[in-house]
Parts: sequence; structure tokens; C-alpha cells
Amino acid sequence: MFLVVLCVVFIQCQVNIYSAFYSFIPVSNDTRDLLLATVSEDSTASQIHQSVSALSALGLPLASQEVVSALKALHVLIIILALLTASRLSQQAELGDILEEIEDLAARLDDLGGVYLQFEEGLEATALFVSAAYSLSDHVDMEPPLKEDQVIQLVNSIFSKKSWDSLSEAFSVASAAASLSNNHFHVPVIVSAQGPAAVSHSHPFLRLQVTDVLCQPLSSASVLAESASAVSSKSAVLSQALFTLRDGVFELNFMASQPASGYYQFSVAIAGDSRFVANHVELKVKVSTRVAINNMDLSVVDKDQSIGPKTTRVEYPTKAKASFMADGHQNFAMTFQLVDETTGVELTPHQTFVRLHNQKTGQEVVFVAEPDSKNLYKFELDTAERKTEFDSISGTYALYLMVGDATLENPILWNVADVVLKFLDEEAPGTIQAKTLYVPKPEIPHLFREPEKKPPTAVSNTFTALVLSPFLLLLILWFKLGANISNFTLSPSTILFHIGHAATLGLMYVYWTHLNMFQTLKYLAIIGSLTFLAGNRMLAQKAVKRYTHQ
Amino acid sequence: MSNSVFSVISRFVEEYRSSTPNKLKVIDAYLLYILLTGVFQFLYCVLVGTFPFNSFLSGFISCVGSFILAVCLRIQINPQNKRDFLTVSPERAFADFLFAHTVLHLVVVNFVG
Repeated sequence: MFLVVLCVVFIQCQVNIYSAFYSFIPVSNDTRDLLLATVSEDSTASQIHQSVSALSALGLPLASQEVVSALKALHVLIIILALLTASRLSQQAELGDILEEIEDLAARLDDLGGVYLQFEEGLEATALFVSAAYSLSDHVDMEPPLKEDQVIQLVNSIFSKKSWDSLSEAFSVASAAASLSNNHFHVPVIVSAQGPAAVSHSHPFLRLQVTDVLCQPLSSASVLAESASAVSSKSAVLSQALFTLRDGVFELNFMASQPASGYYQFSVAIAGDSRFVANHVELKVKVSTRVAINNMDLSVVDKDQSIGPKTTRVEYPTKAKASFMADGHQNFAMTFQLVDETTGVELTPHQTFVRLHNQKTGQEVVFVAEPDSKNLYKFELDTAERKTEFDSISGTYALYLMVGDATLENPILWNVADVVLKFLDEEAPGTIQAKTLYVPKPEIPHLFREPEKKPPTAVSNTFTALVLSPFLLLLILWFKLGANISNFTLSPSTILFHIGHAATLGLMYVYWTHLNMFQTLKYLAIIGSLTFLAGNRMLAQKAVKRYTHQ
Repeated sequence: MSNSVFSVISRFVEEYRSSTPNKLKVIDAYLLYILLTGVFQFLYCVLVGTFPFNSFLSGFISCVGSFILAVCLRIQINPQNKRDFLTVSPERAFADFLFAHTVLHLVVVNFVG
């Protein structure tokens, strides 16, 4: 580093001396690279100045924008260093001007989406600014001009990275963390749930960790749950409940208020110190429960309701001993209730499926069991209606009930019974083809545009003759009128004009058959100009003749 | 009624035969030829169909354009209109006629396909 500085200074002095005597100085590539490399954000102001002067005196290209951003980064760092220095001075000194710099620098912070607040120079400058601002404010005992949401956004930006590029960056973050946990004015509070934010009968306590930025527990704080309301029904369950501190963790027995299972929105306030910042948090807590299946009744109902249904009750987790038969004349039906194990309240979980699995062929068909208005789940299987799902394959199907939900601690997969299904017409193929989705699809042949129907050639020929016939009429009329070419003078311009005119007509025919517009225009320009000149001459002669006759 | 129409027509024909110069009659014959050609093309389209529509259009427009240009030539050549066309000599009218026809035929041949 020192050598680099020496080199740059030496080069600059040399360049200045030489430029006074010589007009051309040879520069090697290494020298130029060295000078360009010095212009970076790590150099001091004097280094930047020397390398930029050397480069411009040598007539080498400069990256002006890079130099400007290097200079701007220096500016912020200089002020931060000034703040840090001032915090070590005697309190009698006049530090008012330097204190105002905090507010000026705070105005230069960039707001990113309302979540982050940082300098465009980067993380290190932001973190150093925070620690400098707070150490100077503590030193002169005046609150820094940073508002609460600015402090929150600064905390978001400084602690957003989990690994750092350099030791100095890591140091700046650590220094910011230390000053944010230990100053006289603002102490941001971090609240997080210990483990998942979920309670149940087996784990009735909601545990929160309340710490400062350095993850030291704030034992002097008092944590209050201002309100807790169910997300689905918005009804308040809890109000002004205090958390108790145990082993450095704040806990609250939420199950004591007997909440129904589901999600709850908590609003938590942390008090105890006037320095606390960000001490109101919103938390989403899940209350889970265990489900029990009651009154599982399986029955085979006759379609015409002539014979009464035979109902078999099955208890979870046993399987029904006898298998049930359902064919075209009978429906298979299943009813049950799902309740909370402890409170007996009826539940409607997100997933209640009935799965029929054919053990021989490996087919499985899944249906949804729907609850009615009284929260009683019903499932009916009509073999005639549903034969497409089963591909009309008769046989023994194992019946499973699947119950699941995010708030259930015990999801259920229960083989309830075996059902023998008989379908009326065996349309099924001998072997089951697995429904393949990823085979090549049948090819679609391209249909070319059909040519339009043309009229028969005879008709076309007739009309062609008809259309050309007036020409004959014209010739006859002209002959009758006595039109002649007796005034035809054999002067060169006349002959040339007529040749040119005929050539134009010939060109039109060739254009129709072979050429395109550009070629035609080219030829037309040549022929046309010749014809024009000749025609002009000829018509002038004719005009002269007419005047002399008159 | 029809009598007077017939007499008007016969008188008009008589007048035409006697007082129009020969040059104009030649152009009138040409006009008749163009008219008939256009009518026959239109007839074909009405009877058989407009299959190559661009060809029909091109042919019909050629007839219409030619008719108009010939009418212009006739007007400009007519010695009775000399006062209206002091700057345009018959030769000049004829040259204009030829030039306009070149342009018309360029367009028509382009469009006929």
C-alpha cells in the first residue's frame, strides 16, 4: 500500500517535470493500470487527486463517474469519522456544528420500499453512521434527530446480511449493534416466538423472547398482550393479559382462555423503559387440537327405498368386520362427525377425503365428504353414476378415510371397511392402462389452403372473347370514319417515339409476366425518357406544321 | 311523349353527325370501345363470380381510367373549347394523355396479379 502511494507520487512528480520540457512522455501499460487502480473507494483523497492529475497530464482516459462516486463516498466517511472523533472530546468544547451534521447525514439516507434505510455508499457507512451518531449523542446528552420508524428501518438494513465481505464491514455492524443496545436514547426491541408460535393442549404456553439487538434478554421489560382476536371471526378472545417471565423467556398460558382451534392475531406491547423503540408487535399464533371421529355409520341403502338401510357402526381405529356390497340397485353410504377431542366442539377440517383403493389393480379413486348444515359429514357412492371414475372395474375396494388440517395435531388415515363394487356392464379393458400423460400425442397433419373453385374453362374463354370483341368494333368504326395515318412523317424523332411507345407497352407485358415494380421502374425510366424526348420533338414539329397551315 | 323523345334523339344524332369534326369522332369511337370493354367485364363478374377479385378490379379500373383520360383529351382538343385551354395546345394534351396512361397502366399491371 505504501509502495503504491510512493509510486503514484513519484509518477505524478515526474509527469509534471517532464511535461514542462517535453511534449510526449511514453507510458507503459503497467503504469497506466496502476494509476487507474488507485482511483477506487479505498484510496485516500490525496491518492485520488494524485492519480487523477497524473492521468490527465499524461492524456490517458479517465473514468470520471468512478472518480466522482469515490469522492462522494469519502465525504460521508469523513463526516462519520468527525462524529466519532467529536465524541471523545471534552464536553466543554463547542460541538453544536458537528451535532447538526447528524441531521444532514440522516437526510441523505435512501428509503428502500419503506423497509430499509441506508446510504448508497453501502452497509459499512450506514452502520458506522449509527454507532457514531449514538456515541456523540450520548456524549453531549442530546437525543439524536432520528425518528422511531427511521431507527426501525436502519436496524432492518444493518442486520439484513448474515455474512460480510470484509473485516471492517463486520466491525461496523458489531459496533452499530453495541451502540443500539447500549445508548441513552433509543433501544430497539426484538420480539420473537420461541419455536413455532403455536399452542395446544399439550403445550399451552405461548413463549416469547424479548431481546435487544445483541440478543440480550430485556429482563426489565413487562410484556402485555393488548388483544388477541380470531383471524376468521375477528372476535376478541383476550385483552390486557400480562406475560410472566420465566428463565429469561416471557410466557402466557393461552389455552387457559379456552380458544377454539384456528389462527389468532396477537397485539403485544413491551413497556418498562422509555428508550424502547419498536415495542408494539403483531404476532400470528396457531391453536391446534386433536380430532376425534364420532358416530361413523356405514350403510347400504336400497335405491328404491323398499328395504330399510342396514347400518353398521365402526369405532376408530378398528375396521368393519364384514365387507359391504354395492351394485346397481344399492348405494353405499357413510356418515360421521368430526369433533375436538377435549372440548367436543364440531370441527370442519380442510381435508376430508374418502379413498377407494382396488388392491388387485392398484386403482384408486378419491372423493370428498361434505358436511351438511349440522356439521354431519355424509358420503354416498352410487355405482351407476360413478362408473366412469372406476372405469367400470368390479372388485373389492378398501375404503380409507383421510382427515387433515393445519390446525390438527393428529391427521387421520383410517381403513374403515372393504367395499365390493359391482358394475353393470364390463366395459373395462383386460389390462388396465395407466393414464399416461407424457407420451407423444397424435400428430396433427397440416391442412394446406384449398384453392378456390374456378369456373370452367369454356366460360372463361367465352368471356375473354366477349371482352376483346369491342376492339374489332373500334377498328371497324375507325375505318368507317376514315381515320388514317397519312400524316405520318418519317422523321427520326417520330420513328423513335413510336418505337419507344411500343417498347413501353412491351415492358408492361413483361412486367406482368416476369418483373417486379423496381425493375420495371428502372426500365421505364430509360425507355420513358427516350420516348419523352422523341415525342416532344415530334409533337413540336406537328405544332409548327399546324401553325404554318392556319 | 315518346314521340318528342324520339325526335330529340334523332335531331341530336343528326347534329352530331354533321357538326362534330372527324378527330373528335375518332376519339368518340375509342370511348365507345372502352365503355363496352368495361361493361363486358362487369357482366362477367355479375354472372360468374368475383374469384380473382384483384384482377377484376384492375381491369375495370383500367377501363374507367382510360375513359376518363380520353374524355379529358377530347375536351382539350375540341376547338370550340379553345378559350378555356389557352395554355394547353392539342399536342400538349396528347402528351399528357400518353403520360397519364403510362402511370395508369403501371398501376393496373401491378394490381392484375
